[in-house]
Amino acid sequence: MKNRLKVLRAERGWSQQDLAERLEVSRQSVNAIETGRYDPSLPLAFRIADLFGMAIEDIFQRGE
Amino acid sequence: MSTITAPRRAATLWGAAFFVGMFGTGILARRLDLGAIPSMLVMLPPMLLLIPLVRSSERAQAECGALSAATRRYNRRAMLWSFGYMVLLAVSVIANRQLHPGGPLLWLLAVLPALPILYLIWAMARYLAEEQDEYLRMRVVNAALGATALLLGVATVWGFLETFHVVDHVPGWMAVPVWAVGLGIGSAIGRWRDSR
Repeated sequence: MKNRLKVLRAERGWSQQDLAERLEVSRQSVNAIETGRYDPSLPLAFRIADLFGMAIEDIFQRGE
Repeated sequence: MSTITAPRRAATLWGAAFFVGMFGTGILARRLDLGAIPSMLVMLPPMLLLIPLVRSSERAQAECGALSAATRRYNRRAMLWSFGYMVLLAVSVIANRQLHPGGPLLWLLAVLPALPILYLIWAMARYLAEEQDEYLRMRVVNAALGATALLLGVATVWGFLETFHVVDHVPGWMAVPVWAVGLGIGSAIGRWRDSR
């Protein structure tokens, strides 16, 4: 699954640590999701979408 | 991401010191035929290396953003288990030598060193239940599956070697150290993948 997390984070000037604290997850988790090594669960994907005020499909797309 | 930082280097060095210390004193005690009680006394100082090992590991995990409250709790419980194991093992061995018990007391003394191991198994279950970070939890579950595969493989091969009288019998409690080695290898692979 592809995602726009890194771009969205950069647009807000957040570090991975900032995003991790906002999502209440580890920085490793943010890094793994951003680099496509880990696809988040649906509840976490909803939390990410809520944080950015977007729909899940606007952040995550099909594909490698 | 792949550079080895000072906390990671320190954790690796403490880990190496712990394993060399434990195995070194264990082999030494066996070679010198020290007997159960002096052997345990010799192995106690390297056991204390667990404290700086856990502390440096936590610093390394915190530095790479992978230290959770559940991990901290698990580390405390695992340390408690390790020291509890040494104490109860010593109590069992000494009591067995001095009292030469039979019946229920012998059963109790034989089971005593297993109690901290059961506590560790409970602590692992608690970790999986308490870990709020799904990615960290997944990494531990993957490492645990790898450890289980290693244990099943080693036990099966060793079991057949025993059946054909190629090797000596190994006690069943060796399952936990083999599983723990597998967990360590699995965790290291997880960290290596993250650092790529």
